Amino acid sequence: MENIIEVNSLVKSFGDKLALKDVDFNVRKGETIGFLGPSGSGKTTTIKILTAQLAATAGDVRVFGEPVHLLKDPARMKKIGILTDNSGLYDRLTVQDNLALYADLYDVGKERIRNVLEMVSLTDEERTPVKKLSKGMKQRVTLARAILHKPALLFLDEPTSALDPTTTKHIHEGLRELNREGTTIFLTTHDMNEAEALCDRVAFLHDGEIKLLDTPQNLRTMSGSPSISLLLKDKTTVTVEPDESGAAAISGYMASGNLLTIHSNEPTLGDLFVQLTGRNL
Amino acid sequence: MMTTFSIKRVNAIFVKDWKDLQRNSYVLFTLALPLFFAAWLGRIGADSAEMIAFPIVFALVIAGAFVQAAMVAEEKEKNTLRGLLLSPASVTEVFVGKSLLSGVMTLVVVAGCIWLAEFTVPSLPMFALSIVIALIFFLAIGTLLGLLSRTVMETSIIGMPVMLIFGMSSMFKSMITNEAILTVMDYLPNELLMNIWVGLENGAAVGESFLILTVWAVVSVAATVIVYRKRRMD
Repeated sequence: MENIIEVNSLVKSFGDKLALKDVDFNVRKGETIGFLGPSGSGKTTTIKILTAQLAATAGDVRVFGEPVHLLKDPARMKKIGILTDNSGLYDRLTVQDNLALYADLYDVGKERIRNVLEMVSLTDEERTPVKKLSKGMKQRVTLARAILHKPALLFLDEPTSALDPTTTKHIHEGLRELNREGTTIFLTTHDMNEAEALCDRVAFLHDGEIKLLDTPQNLRTMSGSPSISLLLKDKTTVTVEPDESGAAAISGYMASGNLLTIHSNEPTLGDLFVQLTGRNL
Repeated sequence: MMTTFSIKRVNAIFVKDWKDLQRNSYVLFTLALPLFFAAWLGRIGADSAEMIAFPIVFALVIAGAFVQAAMVAEEKEKNTLRGLLLSPASVTEVFVGKSLLSGVMTLVVVAGCIWLAEFTVPSLPMFALSIVIALIFFLAIGTLLGLLSRTVMETSIIGMPVMLIFGMSSMFKSMITNEAILTVMDYLPNELLMNIWVGLENGAAVGESFLILTVWAVVSVAATVIVYRKRRMD
């Protein structure tokens, strides 16, 4: 499958501090890849290098098969969308005016504004000045701006960090829809649920190094077979192993009508991250 | 890499700035200051060339440099400049778009000052040329101040020496006795503008003043480009 992003031996240093240490990865066309890591792990630095906002200290970075610095060309810029943690909006202008500016810059019809506002559930706020919106609403406007031109490659830096669960779910649905339409998504997050909900592959980034990169399912099964918890009708919990004895126990509880629920005790991505790095996300 | 220049993108930035200006009381008040000053001078009937010309120079400094500085600094302060630079708009399109509104507003304020201060324009084509060259200089200085400032408030502090040197130095000339300083002051853009306007009125040669003013404009644009290139990456 065609690679949209190719990164080989990427190093970035700020003075004496190494922010990225010999990082290698590829992003395939049409996939959603997530970089999971705590603050200071190098997630934002990676996005800034991939969007030509920062120059790499060493290594080869290619986007759409070309050296990343060529992204500065307007025709190439039209193919990417960016939502960073500090994407600014014009406070005194309305939501519509903010998006109209970018519709003109990207040469997109104004009718698309309504589509993206529907996706981020902000159609009622079209005429509202941005300064009157809540932090979460502003975040949704910046997301709407990033996807206004249906980019081939979308960079999202902590896309739902300021949003409530309902809006987050709505945004996730929209991103999945965008991905189904062909947009490749590169996102950074410290929310393991977001990574699991959206990503085809997840990279664990810690101290500027990729510790693991695989599908969420493969990552979860790396720490061995998970045990199984059984909740019985008398509210007691029994833990069994996923082997013949466990199967017999489950069968016994089911036959006696005493079994209420069955849970797989798979480690979460967060558990695995802590196991691997000794740090919380 | 192919370099493009899109009028549509420049216009989009201009329209955005125009909508924003109408709701920006700080910039509107700043733009009105030279007009108040010109109206006051017109009312008291000032008759020296320096006094009558002063509101025009003041308008160029305030509307050209200060407003441009505030607009660029606000884009930086609110992280909106990053958004523009990450869009298909090139650096040239962004700064031309931003300078266009400040430039138009400066010309409107200069015209208002001429009318309110009852300034007699000596030779319209040459006078207009001097204003255009000075406008390029002050817009470049404003952009430079905006790039050097972290906040809109900071532009007032960093910009104060600029206002004193390039806007008001003529008023302090009579208090200065040091010949070297006076000679340097003769080469400042505001003094050159006065020389040009008085020269046009009296039929004196103004070519050298035009030339030096053009050098100021070129150097200020070059300095702005250099500072931008040094600061564009975090």
